[in-house]
Amino acid sequence: MSVAELSVARQPVVQNTPAAVQLEDVTVRFITERGTVTALDRINLTVPKGGFMSLLGPSGCGKSTLLRVVADIIAPSSGRAEVMGGTPFAARARRDIGFVFQDAALLPWRTVTENVMLPLQVGGGIGMESARDPQELLELVGLSDWGKAYPHELSGGMRQRVSIARALVSGPKLLLMDEPFGALDEITRDRLNEELLALWERTGTTILFVTHSIYEAAFLGQDVLLLAARPGRVREQVPVDFPGPRKISLREKPEFACLVTRLRAVLETC
Amino acid sequence: MADVTTGAGAFGSTFIPDDEAHRRYLSQKQKLVWRRRLLPLITILALLLIWEISVPLFGIKSFIAPAPSAVAVVLVTKFGLLMTNLLPTAIEAVLGFMIGNGAAVLVATAFVYKRTLEEAFFPVAVMFNTIPVVAKAPILVLLLGNGMQPKIAIAAIICFFPTLVNMTRGLRDVNPQQMELMHVLSASPREIFTRVRLRNSLPYLFSALKITASTAVIGAIVGEWIGANSGIGALIIQSTYNFDTPLLYATIVVGSCFSAAFFGLIVWLEGRFLKWNVVASS
Repeated sequence: MSVAELSVARQPVVQNTPAAVQLEDVTVRFITERGTVTALDRINLTVPKGGFMSLLGPSGCGKSTLLRVVADIIAPSSGRAEVMGGTPFAARARRDIGFVFQDAALLPWRTVTENVMLPLQVGGGIGMESARDPQELLELVGLSDWGKAYPHELSGGMRQRVSIARALVSGPKLLLMDEPFGALDEITRDRLNEELLALWERTGTTILFVTHSIYEAAFLGQDVLLLAARPGRVREQVPVDFPGPRKISLREKPEFACLVTRLRAVLETC
Repeated sequence: MADVTTGAGAFGSTFIPDDEAHRRYLSQKQKLVWRRRLLPLITILALLLIWEISVPLFGIKSFIAPAPSAVAVVLVTKFGLLMTNLLPTAIEAVLGFMIGNGAAVLVATAFVYKRTLEEAFFPVAVMFNTIPVVAKAPILVLLLGNGMQPKIAIAAIICFFPTLVNMTRGLRDVNPQQMELMHVLSASPREIFTRVRLRNSLPYLFSALKITASTAVIGAIVGEWIGANSGIGALIIQSTYNFDTPLLYATIVVGSCFSAAFFGLIVWLEGRFLKWNVVASS
């Protein structure tokens, strides 16, 4: 099944509108003391609106760099990046993008509620019309009783939930997640994986999810984009067509094991 | 007590209601708090007692080392004199503290936003800081006269360097992901400064303030040594030359108490403003 067919199957309404994320020959080079390093080499990818794409690859394959190109944190050296039908800059300025970082990046001097409200307080109040109620979002991530707590009082998993609520508060159309559950224990990670899928189905937000866990990539994504390292380039795009809603028990099914084996085989050649 | 605890822990723990265990936990904790308070107090009292006994025992003359009781008598009888001399020192120390730290915060902010400024002026600040206070003091007295100004200047200079170093670090050492977050949120440079950099620097700033609270008092006293008619420093010099050693000791006690109170005030402010950090680091 191709990417286009997948998006049609899920959301027939958005058939003719531009993709959420489109990268054409995106190349990123960094200049270091040892010379120029090519972090990304002619990347092409398309994420349909409402899609969920996992970016999977070994460390050094430029997954995080790719996410930062989409978020307008890093400008590509060459090639074209388009987010929500415009430049990444325009998408960021419109508050179409929510970013979830690996270490949650909460401000330790703010309470949970204050952290969630941060996007509504900076940047000149752009995108306020799509703003969501912080309390409602805390309920959504299961932390409604923790609004007055400080980040240091929370566990790693709770902190990451707060950061997801913060990313969602401006009602973004695109959620970029940079190994958000990488530092968590397996049990917490499994639970958050399931919750994230439920959240994705409920909100209809497009998600681009970076991970180095094969299981996580296969379980979450509608598509898994496999990247090779040094220089970072697209190896293969693998569609995942397990019917939703997916539960963590899916991982014990033979089809899942089959997919994981296939992904691992490709990764080993990266 | 220990028996009861181990007994409960071995097999009886399920029979103790939760609030009973909680009550016991609290009383244990309370005991620890009292121990931490009482132990140093007992040590100090014991040392004072040894000192008190040693003076007559070894026939030490009062002008060489007075007994604690003699110092205490002076503290009471000359309380007025001590306080009139504390006032100018306190004013000099507090004003110098505010000016020195204020300047350091402003310069640190400039350093963080203009690297060239830091590269140009930081080595100068380091060199200036290597000059001992006792050497800087006479120069400032020559420049600023015999009033309060040179003492305030010395206190300010002594405060400047530690705060500059700490504040520069605090403003700069921001978690890079927090900066990326602010970028994604299209935050203005001003918002990044007030909502991230400044808040991030507060723990560093308070570390510096705690150091400089006591050094500011030392600076003011050193300034008074060079030339002053009143103040803790002037009283120290006068009582030393007059062999009025009990008064000298009493002056030192008053100066130390003021220093400790100033330090305590900063610690209290830190607890109020840095609730998130104090709890996290303790």
